[in-house]
Amino acid sequence: MTKRIVLLVLCLAAAPAARAASAAQPSFAAFKLKPGAEGKMCLDCHPQFEDVLKKPFVHTPVRSRQCAGCHNPHASSHGKFLAAEGGAVCQKCHAGVVPAAVKSAHKPVADGKCSTCHDPHASGFKFNLVKGGNDLCASCHKQIAEDAAKAKFKHKPVADGCTSCHEPHGSAKGSDLLSADVPALCVNCHKTDRQVFVKAHMGYPVAKADCTSCHDPHGSDRRGMLFNTVHPPVAKANCAQCHEAATSPNALKTKSTSPQLCKGCHAQTLQAMMDKGWVHRPVADGSCLACHGPHAAKQKGLLRADMNQVCGKCHEDTIKRQALSPTPHEPVKNGQCTKCHDPHSSDQQLALVKADVVETCGTCHDWLKHSSHPMGEKYADPRNKNLTVQCLSCHRSHGTEYKHLIPYATQSDLCTKCHEKFRR
Amino acid sequence: MPVSRAFGKSLLLLVALAALPRAARAEGGVAFVHDATIYQDAKEGALKAPQGVACTENGNVVVADTGNQRLLMYAFKDGRIAGGTELKLTQLTRPIRVQITSKGDVLVLDGKTRKIVKVGANGQFAGTLDPKGIDDAASVVPAAFKVDGNGNVYVLDAPGRRVLLMDSSGAVSGQVAIPPEAGTITDVDVDVAGTLYAIDAVSATIWSAEKNAKTFKALTKSMKDRMSFPTYLAFSRGRLFLVDQNGNGIAIVGVDGSYQGRQLSIGWNDGLVYYPAQLCLAPELGYAFLADRYNNRVQVFSTGK
Repeated sequence: MTKRIVLLVLCLAAAPAARAASAAQPSFAAFKLKPGAEGKMCLDCHPQFEDVLKKPFVHTPVRSRQCAGCHNPHASSHGKFLAAEGGAVCQKCHAGVVPAAVKSAHKPVADGKCSTCHDPHASGFKFNLVKGGNDLCASCHKQIAEDAAKAKFKHKPVADGCTSCHEPHGSAKGSDLLSADVPALCVNCHKTDRQVFVKAHMGYPVAKADCTSCHDPHGSDRRGMLFNTVHPPVAKANCAQCHEAATSPNALKTKSTSPQLCKGCHAQTLQAMMDKGWVHRPVADGSCLACHGPHAAKQKGLLRADMNQVCGKCHEDTIKRQALSPTPHEPVKNGQCTKCHDPHSSDQQLALVKADVVETCGTCHDWLKHSSHPMGEKYADPRNKNLTVQCLSCHRSHGTEYKHLIPYATQSDLCTKCHEKFRR
Repeated sequence: MPVSRAFGKSLLLLVALAALPRAARAEGGVAFVHDATIYQDAKEGALKAPQGVACTENGNVVVADTGNQRLLMYAFKDGRIAGGTELKLTQLTRPIRVQITSKGDVLVLDGKTRKIVKVGANGQFAGTLDPKGIDDAASVVPAAFKVDGNGNVYVLDAPGRRVLLMDSSGAVSGQVAIPPEAGTITDVDVDVAGTLYAIDAVSATIWSAEKNAKTFKALTKSMKDRMSFPTYLAFSRGRLFLVDQNGNGIAIVGVDGSYQGRQLSIGWNDGLVYYPAQLCLAPELGYAFLADRYNNRVQVFSTGK
């Protein structure tokens, strides 16, 4: 009886392994290979794989010489004779790497590009990764890696490995692939009831606050890993300038709301904005926090993110136009919206920072001032007597579907809008 | 081919092409056919970045010539525009939107002072339309407004995220809340049944509130694939006309939220638009007036009666 139970337990224990093995070689039997031919036959023509197989980490089907687990040896509609497209092959065995109810997913995983990070045959690194440690992540997230390496105050988990905080495939619990949302993730290490934590936060009850609204989790040059741009009251630890006292039952509540609160220090700046002819809607509405963070930020001017993201939150159509343009316009592409536009208010059309369009474009395109095409106030636009010829007479600065930022398919289409006698 | 036959064929083609917009009308659509353009005032002074235009069925047209900080009064009759008398008031530093009441008074939203300025029929400053009868009247900042045929004024209080219903003296009789998910509402209008419509320019979503409703509800899903940045909304004869500022055109949507088409496109010649702003429809006249902002003009389109 005991023997039978042991046998049953062993059978049950072996079942998942057997299932995995059969999943790895779904079509192998179909090829009716001669005994001993599995894998060996492939190596006859692909001898370079002898070296691959010597690497420390070899993919299970490769190690067991089951090439047909992923490849169809006869014909395929997919590259490299794969039995299915990209990630779909991997999914046959690794279906569970992304949680079912995913809150955030890694783009290469979502795109089925597993080989961006993994070598499907063999590698010198664990999990068949193409590079080791943080080097792999830095291949794409170069800026973060460089900033983290340069940071004066470093976050230990970054050095320990990105996977200390991030799930490489997808996370069911956190945004940005975080294994849990902030602050739940942070308080795993940073115990909020410790005196040192309480003191560092001036006694304010920040245990449930969004840590990353002030701290750069990848390290920074500011003590306490605050983002490099810090609002002066925060830098001076003067939280009570804007918030109720730390001892108050509503300690995190601000003393008033934007824009009144901001006017306390920025009254003159705000008044100067409101005195202009055009005022940006968030400014007019007093929604300073629509674009700026109140505590600390990675970006200058306490912007909540880079300009493409901040401005693109409302002006998505404009940002998209540039993304689709065959000719990139550097300031738009690089998120330097304020090179041309005043984000608060302006007396100029299109909220330009300079007095007119030619002058604005001339900031970078100096040659345009000397272009052979007549431009400026002296030259009336033949299409419209209330306009003069300027850069935007022919170009759309955020891009079009056509080359050179022009609004028509060909240059002759453009030119003959004014020079009608040359129209064919 | 004999010359006369070739000419005949060309003529036929031209007639067919000219009939296209009218054919669209016959099928129940609305076609904007360019008819005239207002480039100047009575003294041949050029318009500069006009953002507002209002009209009446008897042909009165008021232009908010924003860049020149003035109003211009025109008369439109038998397809011809005349006049262009300038009206400058110290209280109007940046007129951006304009409406004409059923009594003939002109209401103008000033973009700088964020006040609705009342201009009497004689062209005199007649005060500002300030909300009365609500506790937080001082915090109201109008971002847009409309008047209906009964003299009611609907004011979009942007920071307050609501639309205030007031009479011509400013007495507030009701308010409709704009829910947080409605994003950035840039304009509002009302139909003959009293249903309010509002447009979120960022997501290109129309919101509506039936008469006496307390809050707006989404009428459509985001129509971002149909339009870029609709900033102005006008109701006319069962349709909503959305001025797509960045997309340089007019999108037409049914009051049931159905997308019905698009008119106009980007350009500098007559009939084309460049960052259009306010639209005024006069269906009895069969015309529409559009402030063609960065083309420094107002265009008149025949829309059919």
